[in-house]
Amino acid sequence: MDFALNDEQQLFVENFRELMERENWEPYFAECDKTHTYPERWVKALCELGFDQIMLPEEHGGLDLGLVTLMSVYEELGRLGGPTYILYQLPCFDTILREGTQEQINKIMAYVGTGKQIWNSACTEPGAGSDVGSLQTTYTRKNGKIYLNGHKTFITSSAKVPFLVVMARDSENYDTFTEFFLDMSLPGIKIEPLEKLGLRMDSCSDVYLDNVELDESDIFGTEGNGFRRGIGDFDLERFLVGASDYSSALCAFEDAAKYANVRVQFGKTIGRFQLNQLKFAEMAIKLKAMKYMLYEAAWSFDQGEMTSAQAAMCKYYGANASAAVVDAAMQVMAGVAVAGDHRIQRIWRDLRVDRVSGGTDEMMILTLAKGVLREYAA
Amino acid sequence: MKIVASFKVSPETQDIQTRPDRSLNLERAQWKVGTYDLNAIEAARQLADEVGGTVVGLSAGGSALENAKLTKDALSRGLDELVTVVDENLVGSESYQTASVLAESLTEIGDVDLVLVGAGSSDEYTQQVGNHLGQILGWPTLNAIETIEAEGDHLKVERVLEDGVQVIEVQLPAVLSLTSGANTPRIAGMKDILAAGKKPVTSVAAGVLPSPTATPVSQLAPEQVDRRQIILEGVDAAAELAIHLKAL
Repeated sequence: MDFALNDEQQLFVENFRELMERENWEPYFAECDKTHTYPERWVKALCELGFDQIMLPEEHGGLDLGLVTLMSVYEELGRLGGPTYILYQLPCFDTILREGTQEQINKIMAYVGTGKQIWNSACTEPGAGSDVGSLQTTYTRKNGKIYLNGHKTFITSSAKVPFLVVMARDSENYDTFTEFFLDMSLPGIKIEPLEKLGLRMDSCSDVYLDNVELDESDIFGTEGNGFRRGIGDFDLERFLVGASDYSSALCAFEDAAKYANVRVQFGKTIGRFQLNQLKFAEMAIKLKAMKYMLYEAAWSFDQGEMTSAQAAMCKYYGANASAAVVDAAMQVMAGVAVAGDHRIQRIWRDLRVDRVSGGTDEMMILTLAKGVLREYAA
Repeated sequence: MKIVASFKVSPETQDIQTRPDRSLNLERAQWKVGTYDLNAIEAARQLADEVGGTVVGLSAGGSALENAKLTKDALSRGLDELVTVVDENLVGSESYQTASVLAESLTEIGDVDLVLVGAGSSDEYTQQVGNHLGQILGWPTLNAIETIEAEGDHLKVERVLEDGVQVIEVQLPAVLSLTSGANTPRIAGMKDILAAGKKPVTSVAAGVLPSPTATPVSQLAPEQVDRRQIILEGVDAAAELAIHLKAL
């Protein structure tokens, strides 16, 4: 079994490292986190090196390098303090290319290389969280037009994206769920940004849809296919959450390890105290377990074989093991971590959100357990 | 215009460890294109893009140059092709020896209009190879070059001096050594890295090296001393500092 990255992958990783080390990005990230600002300058710099082309097929000008390559880049960016959670849209063009009309594809592709936020999908509503089927947003056909009405909530990135793919049900036929490609500049759309514990460089908002007038050409994918479309695409997003969490835990771990090697108490470095050594042993085990779980899932994805259970495992274990690692790192760094503005604080807050957003821990467990048990069903 | 960007492969400084006897341990060091040599590659690329032409990378050194990842790294930074001269005798060679080997290789490359070198290598930093090379070739040779501008059949360059900037028109072919501030070398994009593996790499023989002029006796890291922990404060701090420095 060969775990080594090839020459090109190693050079990708080294060059993204060079980008991260050419300037001290931390004050910029801290400022973006504080002011709820999308770090566009950083994402643009990544895209200039080709980050948003990693998963993009060659016929659309991409490099089609696969998820193992993406994983290795995520790992390095996160390790060096980059907020990889902000990047989730850039490896996920496949949804648009598969489901979108040519016009919709063109609109999205125009943003490749810009570093700007592009799109996200919107399912969640006040009465429909994990239970997406309870959503109340409707679409109604009238005089050759389609009118969208409803209230979406906790919609990630919605304050800044130019496009939102909105799930709604047919007001004439409640069992028909359809998605719409929504231009966010249309009349009748109101955005109310929400405060948030973590992942603050990305927005999270209520989205109100009041008689938003659409055409038949604004349907995303096939009418009535809304539910089935989302399920497969969730897997990649869930994997990315796990990858992002792991890489930020690696960052906190390295900060704590360097600190433990120099901080002296009672005449010796605190890394030599056994209670701290237990923390480092546990942290290292969790990081290693996450790393190879993620790389193996990425490899499966590249073979076209990643299962929903694998993706759920990456997200569930990634979010929880990372939270444990970062919490232990914080304990090692003690006052330095909890007072002032050390980046560990931000990572700690960010990770707590990931046990809720993009599918709760509880939903991950359902998917994961179902997949595991199915293998042994008679 | 055919531009040769010459570079030296050196051990990554941060990977070098010092043994207890102060000798240097390079075993864990990754070999990389010299930091200042990246300025030469960048300047060559920019000039070739502006006036048209090709950029040939040229490096003489030991077996580190046979590492495929390293050559791809060099090629991805803006070279069109690469010529390597690999000979273990070139590891730790004197700058005149290196320059002699480079001069011979330039004859093999042929029709070279301009050779660019960095301010100095990342390891020895003797800043000599460019000058030796120009002397061997008998070409106009200048160092401390900050800017290069193409003007018809010649170049207009700026040299940074202590008390001013010298503007010189240089006839081609020429050898120019750049300052480290001449440009900001690009970080190769993923596409450039993928393309690098498809670019030609030619290996040429080193030939016979001229004899060295000196024999190195030892190479040791500076001796470490404990911090004196002397803190100077007040208006006389500068004068007191001078006394302490003289006493060292």
